[in-house]
Amino acid sequence: MTDLGALLDSVRGVHWPSRRAVAGGPAGTHQSKMRGTSAEFTEFRLYRQGDDPRRIDWRLLARSDRAYIRLATDRAVLPTTLLVDASSSMGFPLATHAKWQLARHLAIGLAAVAHADGDPIGVAVHDDTGSMRILPPRTRRGVVSEIARVIDGAEPDGTEPLAPTLAALRSPRIAVITDLLGDAEELLRAASVHIVGGGEVHLVHVVAREELNPPKRALLAADPEAPSLQRLLVDATRRGYLEAFGEWRAQMARRWRAAGASYVEVASDEEPARAVRRIVQPPALAMSGARA
Amino acid sequence: MSWLLPSALAIAGIGAIAAIALHFIARSRPLAEPLPTARFIPERPVHARMRSIKLSDVPLLLLRLAALLALGAAVAGPVFAGATGTVTRVIVADRSRAVANIDEVRDSVRAVLRAGDVLIVFDSAASVATLDSLRAVSLVGSVSAALASAIRGAAAIAPRTDSLELVIVSPLVSEELDDATAHIRAAWPGRARLVRTAAAVPAAAGVRRVETTATAEDPVVAGLALAGLLGPRSDVRLVRGRVPAGDSAWARDSGHVLIHWPSTDESSLWPKRPLIDAIGGVASSGGAMVARFPRLWVIDGQAIARWADGEPAAVERPLGNGCIRDVALVFDPASDATLRPPFREFIRPLLAPCGGGGARDATPLDSAAVAPLAGSGALAAGASLRDRSAERSRWTPWLLFAAAGLLILELAARRTEKATA
Repeated sequence: MTDLGALLDSVRGVHWPSRRAVAGGPAGTHQSKMRGTSAEFTEFRLYRQGDDPRRIDWRLLARSDRAYIRLATDRAVLPTTLLVDASSSMGFPLATHAKWQLARHLAIGLAAVAHADGDPIGVAVHDDTGSMRILPPRTRRGVVSEIARVIDGAEPDGTEPLAPTLAALRSPRIAVITDLLGDAEELLRAASVHIVGGGEVHLVHVVAREELNPPKRALLAADPEAPSLQRLLVDATRRGYLEAFGEWRAQMARRWRAAGASYVEVASDEEPARAVRRIVQPPALAMSGARA
Repeated sequence: MSWLLPSALAIAGIGAIAAIALHFIARSRPLAEPLPTARFIPERPVHARMRSIKLSDVPLLLLRLAALLALGAAVAGPVFAGATGTVTRVIVADRSRAVANIDEVRDSVRAVLRAGDVLIVFDSAASVATLDSLRAVSLVGSVSAALASAIRGAAAIAPRTDSLELVIVSPLVSEELDDATAHIRAAWPGRARLVRTAAAVPAAAGVRRVETTATAEDPVVAGLALAGLLGPRSDVRLVRGRVPAGDSAWARDSGHVLIHWPSTDESSLWPKRPLIDAIGGVASSGGAMVARFPRLWVIDGQAIARWADGEPAAVERPLGNGCIRDVALVFDPASDATLRPPFREFIRPLLAPCGGGGARDATPLDSAAVAPLAGSGALAAGASLRDRSAERSRWTPWLLFAAAGLLILELAARRTEKATA
């Protein structure tokens, strides 16, 4: 946690609003679909059979001789789970594990932001034995440290898919931190199902700077998740690689957004706190930020 | 061991260096490095040309180098010398007119001659001979011809010997050297031993007389008689008709000068000119005669007199130890041209000894002049004088066989490597 102090300081005061009204639940900071009895008045509505008579505004009944119900905006918490990809490809580059370190910082930063908003926050990550370790969303003090310990217990290795875990998670908001180099199609399908079911999905696409701008010397590139896949990266193939990789990233962004998810691409050399702010900002701000 | 064609070794060496260089930059498989996004790289063969500080395919390179060197050695043709430590002499002995006493030359040769040595005798020409056949002739000597013949003779015995020594037995007078001598001497790759003998003292530049069987009415005989050049038992014989066999033998065996000077058209078998004409003068190195002469024949040989238009009017042909001089000059019997002084000047070169009608320079060369002939340094190596064009190496077929085997191995290794790649 010592190396995360600066990050936690940087994201203090940052909020992670939900992208839509949340279902009812314990009082929180997110606007709820439910209309409750809070002090935040919204509107009056004619009394209908079945309404609680205690919610009738008697003063208005006395003035207008009609029975109105006083409606108020309700606010609820939004349980959030961070699904962190710990496959072999996240360990790139081997010397620095920059992608994994970025994913770790983003997860803890997002957890801190959600926890500060009062939202239950949990994490799901493959541990070093290859089994998925899920920490359910909690609001108790120290949950961020607990999440950090869970993530630190994982090592980027293996090729375990994320889609089954995403499909199994019940949190209304799920943030997936991945490089999409594993089961991208299945993951998108599971995310679509979750979104259709009223959930919210944030996809954080982690890309290494070395993947965006590979070394100019000739190298035989080997996929760490499929060692038999080896391709020669030389001057003659470099342009084709950059075009194909760029087109794939654009396609991923388009498809995830079309599915209703939030898509943010983060390069490994970007400051984590800045990336966290980009991830959590509301869509309208994100659009204006993108235009800016 | 020596090589018939050493340049082939150099070419093979260059080829080997090129092969090594190519293995540094040859198509090689780069080291695999992880890149999670490798799937987006267009597919192409994983071999690429790249520089490396490490040699690639070392076994293959060794096979190629061995094949190249075997091929180069086969073409270069290794030859292993059979004789070691043997010295053979090439002795050139002078028998020209410069020699005062041929016996002295013979004794000098006998003192150095060993079994297996080559003896070359020379006058104006040179040839391999035996000691018994060494006799004096009256021709001018040519050291250039002797050296050239010595180099040819040395090439014949070079494969059998380790070193060659050139021995020149000669008085070495000025007339025996010419402009080519130094260049030919430089072609002998070693020092020479000079054995100098006494030089002949040329006869006083007196009158050389002519003997003839022609009558005194003959205009040429009349002219010679008037000049006091006729005499019995001379070195020069004048024949005014066809040359008898006895006169030819006289000239051939004794080194005398036989002047064949037909008096009439019928006195000679020389080919006739296609167009018989007349010309107004003739000249030799002694002088010129201006008169009208008919030109009847075409003669061939070394010119000693020429017509006014440059065609030979008199030529010399070597014949054994002597020579025959053909003179195609016909005088009108009624002419007094032979009685005039120009005739006496004109005829003097025709009476000169064989081998040149000019002045004779029989001065022995001083030590400074003969030093370049002796040269310095070691004896000539036998290998350096071999006639490589005629030699064959018995190792060449075996080396070619080895090179072919190595190339087949290289092909197999290459295919094996490709199959395992």
